[in-house]
Amino acid sequence: MYKNDFSMKIKSKIENDKFIRSTIAAFITPLNPTLEEIQDIKTAVSEAVTNCVVHAYNSENQYITISVQVLDKVLKISIKDEGVGIENVNKAREPFFTTKSEEERSGMGFTLMESFMDKIEVYSMINKGTEVVMTKKIAGD
Amino acid sequence: MEIICSRLINNNALVKIDGEIDESNAQQLKNKLDEIIDSSDFIDIILDLKNLTFMDSTGIGVLLGRYKKSRIKNINIKIKNPSKHVDFIFNTCGVYSIMEKI
Repeated sequence: MYKNDFSMKIKSKIENDKFIRSTIAAFITPLNPTLEEIQDIKTAVSEAVTNCVVHAYNSENQYITISVQVLDKVLKISIKDEGVGIENVNKAREPFFTTKSEEERSGMGFTLMESFMDKIEVYSMINKGTEVVMTKKIAGD
Repeated sequence: MEIICSRLINNNALVKIDGEIDESNAQQLKNKLDEIIDSSDFIDIILDLKNLTFMDSTGIGVLLGRYKKSRIKNINIKIKNPSKHVDFIFNTCGVYSIMEKI
């Protein structure tokens, strides 16, 4: 059975979004994912990281913790912040829900994560932070 | 991300958006599209996404905002050559209910 994992702690800066999604895409190369699967994962990761930067923290001087596990063909990604937390997770997961409509946010972040991954779990506590755990089975080529 | 705008003979704008759209460059996209909408007498604005390799929901927010702005000037924004992945995102987010795919 193939097993691998890594974790990293990185500043909550939006320019790190691309680094994080590209790193995860590179890490799963041994699973021979299809281009479509790579795109799905990169988009879901980008949504979660953007949430940390835009919603969880008010400053760039905070950190996002990323943990990635591969067990056989199953990829599990945890993206965690120690920010403001989400008051109502069920509401936040509804399509088009946004707390920042004045900033032209689509409110589709969680919907896209759910569309592209097999399973999304969201754990959040006010003023403690939020963890998004995403799981996807990689069918591969 | 690179954005190139050219005028077509029928007074439509062809806007090629190449590369990746995410939160880090959403403001750049917003400014450029606003400039095109504001400064012109274009009939339609056609977004050619053939070489757009990545987009997340940040891009959707920008497009929905530009839709509202373009309607005030009676300009239609149309979508051309989206990748399969971007096409799926547009379908999921309802973009095609307000912007025609050509």
